[in-house]
Amino acid sequence: MNLIQQKIKEISSDWELLVILAKRDISVRYKQTILGLSWAIVKPVATMLVFLFAYKQVAKIQDLSGYPIQLVIFSGILFWNYFANSLQAISNSILVNSNLISKVYFPRLIICFSSIAVSLVDFVVGLVVYLILALSLHQSISPYIVLLPLALLITSLFALGFGLIFASFSVKYRDVQQIIPLIVQYGFFATPIVYTTKQLSEKSWFLYYNILNPLAGLVEMFRACLISQYDLLTVQNLSISIIASILVFILGIIIFDKREDSFVDYL
Amino acid sequence: MHIIEVDSISKKYELSANKGAVSIKNGLKNLLTKEEKEIFWAVNDVSFALNRGDKLGIVGSNGAGKSTLLKILSKITKPTSGEIHVRGKVASLLEVGTGFHPELTGRENIFLNGAILGMSKHEIKSQFDEIVDFAGEQISRFLDTPVKRYSSGMYVRLGFAISAHLNPEILIVDEVLAVGDADFQKKSLGKMREVAANDKTILFVSHNLTAVANLCNKTLHLEKGRVKQFGETGEVLSNYMAALQTNRLEQSYDSFDAAPGSQQIRLKKATLIPELLEGQTYLDIRNKINISIEFWNTEPNQQLNISLHLFASTGECVFNVGTPPGNFGIGLVQANLEIPGHFLNDGTYLISFMVVKDKSIVLYNFEEVFNFEIADFREDTTWYGKWPGYVRPVFPFPIRQLSDTI
Repeated sequence: MNLIQQKIKEISSDWELLVILAKRDISVRYKQTILGLSWAIVKPVATMLVFLFAYKQVAKIQDLSGYPIQLVIFSGILFWNYFANSLQAISNSILVNSNLISKVYFPRLIICFSSIAVSLVDFVVGLVVYLILALSLHQSISPYIVLLPLALLITSLFALGFGLIFASFSVKYRDVQQIIPLIVQYGFFATPIVYTTKQLSEKSWFLYYNILNPLAGLVEMFRACLISQYDLLTVQNLSISIIASILVFILGIIIFDKREDSFVDYL
Repeated sequence: MHIIEVDSISKKYELSANKGAVSIKNGLKNLLTKEEKEIFWAVNDVSFALNRGDKLGIVGSNGAGKSTLLKILSKITKPTSGEIHVRGKVASLLEVGTGFHPELTGRENIFLNGAILGMSKHEIKSQFDEIVDFAGEQISRFLDTPVKRYSSGMYVRLGFAISAHLNPEILIVDEVLAVGDADFQKKSLGKMREVAANDKTILFVSHNLTAVANLCNKTLHLEKGRVKQFGETGEVLSNYMAALQTNRLEQSYDSFDAAPGSQQIRLKKATLIPELLEGQTYLDIRNKINISIEFWNTEPNQQLNISLHLFASTGECVFNVGTPPGNFGIGLVQANLEIPGHFLNDGTYLISFMVVKDKSIVLYNFEEVFNFEIADFREDTTWYGKWPGYVRPVFPFPIRQLSDTI
């Protein structure tokens, strides 16, 4: 616990640097692409349309959960993009910024934390699209939307935990970088992103599934914040996911702390 | 109370076949086989202490561990053993424009680079105009242009301008002065001097010994990772230069058979002796250089002369001088050349000479007989950049006021 406290102190003492690195990432991202911000809209919308096409025209799946299918898919994709993009950015943050790390000292965690910023901006843009979509489908917005920042925080802890572990190892073992896209690709289908936990909840192994994949609880947490009257989030899978996020975060910090002193020697 | 105490720090690197990052496969293999690794001590048992306001110059040849030492002192990497106690805020400048992002504008990069170097937003804001001013007029016109469109000179100027406005108690600088054009170098060295005048503590790595001699009161000489000498700048530098000038200043051969040359002529002895001033331990631009050449001649009644070439390290011939031709019989022939002081500029030079018969036939060309270095010497100057040119003569060049009306 001392370690976590110490790390939080480190980050807050260099808060200005964190903010300016985050700003750098955001402005670079939107300067390099012609479409800029619109990518944050196009990507989730296109993904949603593809799955709607698959469900309605190809597989003829009618009703999945009783909630509007567009909202179920779009909220899932919003969550997944935030998690997956953050995870990738954090995992690569040390290598991407190797020129900085080998030339200046600052708490290394700052670069990992600041790398979430771009995904966060994308999430906010996507959220606006979601709200427009919900209104156009004549759906009311869940009052729990005020808890969305908390849901983002918990998801960030989970992404940070894994991201820090990957970042720590990828400096010495470069092929760790190859693993992350695979996790993102398979994780998308192993997690209820384009479906819900309703179909799974009657299975005998549902509890183990939640423990093995805490992302399942996290995505339902997002939906509970976004979709009106959403009742698929249980206290059990919520608490499993929160506990898992905190544990993974602590583990990530411990591993990162052990290895950060040797980063420069391998860059 | 010392502001910096370095207590026998060492840094070990393991050199294996795959240096640096490895694949998981090789990582596992290494774990299993415990392969023998070559161990390399980049910094070995280095200790020193500095008081507030000390300016330390760190000198040594390439690979002496200077950069590794700076990285350890600026906390970028941890020493394998030993301890460092630093009392005060440290800023390190290991390169100019650290973290500049090519896509961002000059203005954005000032804030980014400033923050990376440890300045607060407020500090940067309050010094923003000064930074732009220092960087020069060209930069101020392109402040809102991405720096990828900058010339490399502009890039460096902006980078240095930001660094120059850092205000730490301890400043660690690595070779940043070796950048930019002569004009900008002058400006940045002036700034360094200004900084050096106050009670800031500076650690400064440089190959520019003139700059070290003028800016630093203490000098640390590293050799193969170890401290060769630490002390007052004058003393350390003079020993360092003396050690550096282990040039081939004499060649002599006892017997004709062992000597280089042709059937007819062989080199017996060649010496290069600088006339050092009182208390001087190494050759600089002020010194006269005497060159003496002795060779054996085996043919009677020969018209011979020597033609000597002096080359700069870049390979260009600086000058070619010849002795007058003379008639010599069998035996030993000697020639003396005197290169006056205040003639050659500082730098590394090579001397070759040939023995010529009848003013046209080259009997033998003795190549690269001497390889020597002339150090710089300057007094009362604020500029320590490389003095241009191969020669640095002191010609009469008076200047005076002609009238007091326009």
